[in-house]
Amino acid sequence: MDNQLTMIAQQEIASAEAVLTQETAQPMTTTDVIAEGPRFLSGAQALMESLIAEGTEVIFGYPGGAIMPTYDALFDYTDRLDHILVRHEQGAGHAAQGYARTSGKPGVCLVTSGPGGTNLVTPIADAIIDCTPLVCIIGQVKSTLLGTDAFQETDIIGVTTPVCKWNYQITHPDEVPEVMAKAFYIATSGKPGPVVIDFTRDAQVGMMDKPYQYKKIEGLASYKPRIVPKDEHVQKAAELINNAKKPYILFGHGVLISGAMEELKAFVEKTDIPCASTLLGLSAMPIDHPNYVGWLGMHGNYGPNVLTDQADVIIAIGMRFDDRVTGDATKYIRQARVVHIEIDPSEIDKIIKAEAPVVGDAKEALRKLLPLVKTNNHSTWRNEFKKFDVIEEQKVTRRELKEEGEIKMAEVVNMLSQKTNGEACIIADVGQHQMIAARYYQFKKPHSYIASGGLGTMGFAIPAAFGAKKGAPDREVVAFIGDGCFQMTIQELGTIAQSGLAVKLIILNNNYLGMVRQWQQLFFEKRYSFVELKNPDFVTIAKGFGITGHTCSERDNLSDSLDALLKSDKPYLLEVIVEKEENVFPMVPAGASVVDIRLD
Amino acid sequence: MTTYTICIFTENTFGLLNKITILFTRRRVNIESLTVSETERKGVSRYTITIKHDKREEVEKLVRQIRKVVEVLAVFGYLDDEVVYNEIALFKIATPIGTRPIDIETINKVYKAWVVYWGLDYVVIEKAGNEAEIMDFFRYIKPYGILEFVKSGRVAVGKTPQGLVEYLPQEVHGEYYA
Repeated sequence: MDNQLTMIAQQEIASAEAVLTQETAQPMTTTDVIAEGPRFLSGAQALMESLIAEGTEVIFGYPGGAIMPTYDALFDYTDRLDHILVRHEQGAGHAAQGYARTSGKPGVCLVTSGPGGTNLVTPIADAIIDCTPLVCIIGQVKSTLLGTDAFQETDIIGVTTPVCKWNYQITHPDEVPEVMAKAFYIATSGKPGPVVIDFTRDAQVGMMDKPYQYKKIEGLASYKPRIVPKDEHVQKAAELINNAKKPYILFGHGVLISGAMEELKAFVEKTDIPCASTLLGLSAMPIDHPNYVGWLGMHGNYGPNVLTDQADVIIAIGMRFDDRVTGDATKYIRQARVVHIEIDPSEIDKIIKAEAPVVGDAKEALRKLLPLVKTNNHSTWRNEFKKFDVIEEQKVTRRELKEEGEIKMAEVVNMLSQKTNGEACIIADVGQHQMIAARYYQFKKPHSYIASGGLGTMGFAIPAAFGAKKGAPDREVVAFIGDGCFQMTIQELGTIAQSGLAVKLIILNNNYLGMVRQWQQLFFEKRYSFVELKNPDFVTIAKGFGITGHTCSERDNLSDSLDALLKSDKPYLLEVIVEKEENVFPMVPAGASVVDIRLD
Repeated sequence: MTTYTICIFTENTFGLLNKITILFTRRRVNIESLTVSETERKGVSRYTITIKHDKREEVEKLVRQIRKVVEVLAVFGYLDDEVVYNEIALFKIATPIGTRPIDIETINKVYKAWVVYWGLDYVVIEKAGNEAEIMDFFRYIKPYGILEFVKSGRVAVGKTPQGLVEYLPQEVHGEYYA
């Protein structure tokens, strides 16, 4: 922020405080905050207290004019609230997403009004579609200036309404505790999502008229998602499952969100039903589990996609039949009777009609369902998947892992998977490398694949990686990033360097916007329209930020390169030069049916 | 195209109209009419929105999406024969000296409309009824010279024995008006 603005802002604080001193008998001091008894706090202090009451450990943010009183309050709370200063508000949002997805807690962002808020819109849109709990606190001009086109005034409520789960403008300090309790409840309950708090400057500076008190919320009159499903729903589902000849489970992010990993395992083991994951459901089941058959969707595995066409009962758990999963939805699983376990009632029948909808939390639903389903043996049906695995292995995997020619992305992911024993937390950006990371990493632990699924936000990985590391400091966090994506949030290398979070970044560099190039090759007659990149020297750039790194362009050095990356106890950047025109297969062409999946 | 009446019960909070209407915009559903008023329970607003749509399924999806808005308490979608509904229209009719006088008796007895204001050179006639009845009257009165014509959105109540507020979540203990 430029000096002139800082000065103005400080003057504003000074004058606001002068007014406060006149209005309230006792001026605010730090000791008052700590003292016992009724506490009269400023709105900004109340916000800090509310964040602590909700168990917030870290804030990802960026200060600026309209949020300065809150940053000033934060200065007194640094012993209880960690703050990571990002380089761009988009970074704060994606970092908070990464944090939320490894820690299971809501990510908290703190940014200023106007551009601060609008820069946060992309992560908010990303979080709503990928069901990530965020509490975004955005500064706003004084309430008296609202609607006057004041400096850095944006109608952020208007801007964020279509992309957030809930938003609210706080214009009086008294509102803070109740609104924050509501914000955290809404962000984390039911289908999680981002909430936006538009916090006017006068509400931050002003003193509460009543003593600060915080009460957590466990339900609202207008919003109280059903957690435990109805008995009749569960019974109907069990009936369908028990009578199925070829049942097939499709699970998604909901399993990870509700923490239903053990329940899912117990369920598939009792019923012996094969199960496949969506992109965001990856790592909810260990990849070596005998009932796990692979992942679904546009670049998913061959058998899991094709055999959706043969299942007589589909059990969808915590997934929403995204078009990247269904292909042409009018041709998808038309022969099957569908059980749909889903916490959000609006998802039921949205894309695929469910004969047995089960509205509720995945964990609770599976718990309730388990005693009602019969022990079964579906080994013949499960073996059908293996036939397709053999074909995929021969036609795709073998080719991609073949050690000849230039290094292929798949080799890098595969080797890293072996070196980390499938236990690292993988962050992927968006594009070919994202799909390759999903295909070749052998996930053994839950919450290990973090990527922007629904929105496909390029630039997600660098900030999400350090956010994820913050949420799971004991885990090895490795991000696979394309050369295009890397340059979308490259400035966050500064955040990584400053915070010292030991994240490992791997650029899979093919000097192309690879996925777009692949589509142009396959569906636009190889007319490569603006997809080739003249890239900077990434390692030198990292060095400029104070991050060690090196480039690997020879296959012989790949293993040592990955060792160096993994051994480092500091952030590390490895750039791997990969084959320029590698394509990701299998592939369901856009708009085609999943059975028309291509292997080359 | 079938007309659907969507009744939405909400908390009376700021900016909610926008949160609801954007759900229609996003799905390219045109709002034919919209009326908002407070209900018999204080603090609970009722939106009556009419739309035309050819797919019932899509309307059902829309209703579920509206229910997802945090401040929305309940949503009901109806076909025309499931609700009692009305609109109200005001006609400002020119009555300068020397022109054909309006026929109050026909207006009252045939069209069940009432003159609610007498100006020097005009009258304001209020006509309540369904869309067809209002348009009938429009055609009748048109030759007299319509200076202004305005029509409200539809208001509707369900043809169920209970009141719709009975379906609201139990936690909503809004006061009843006397």
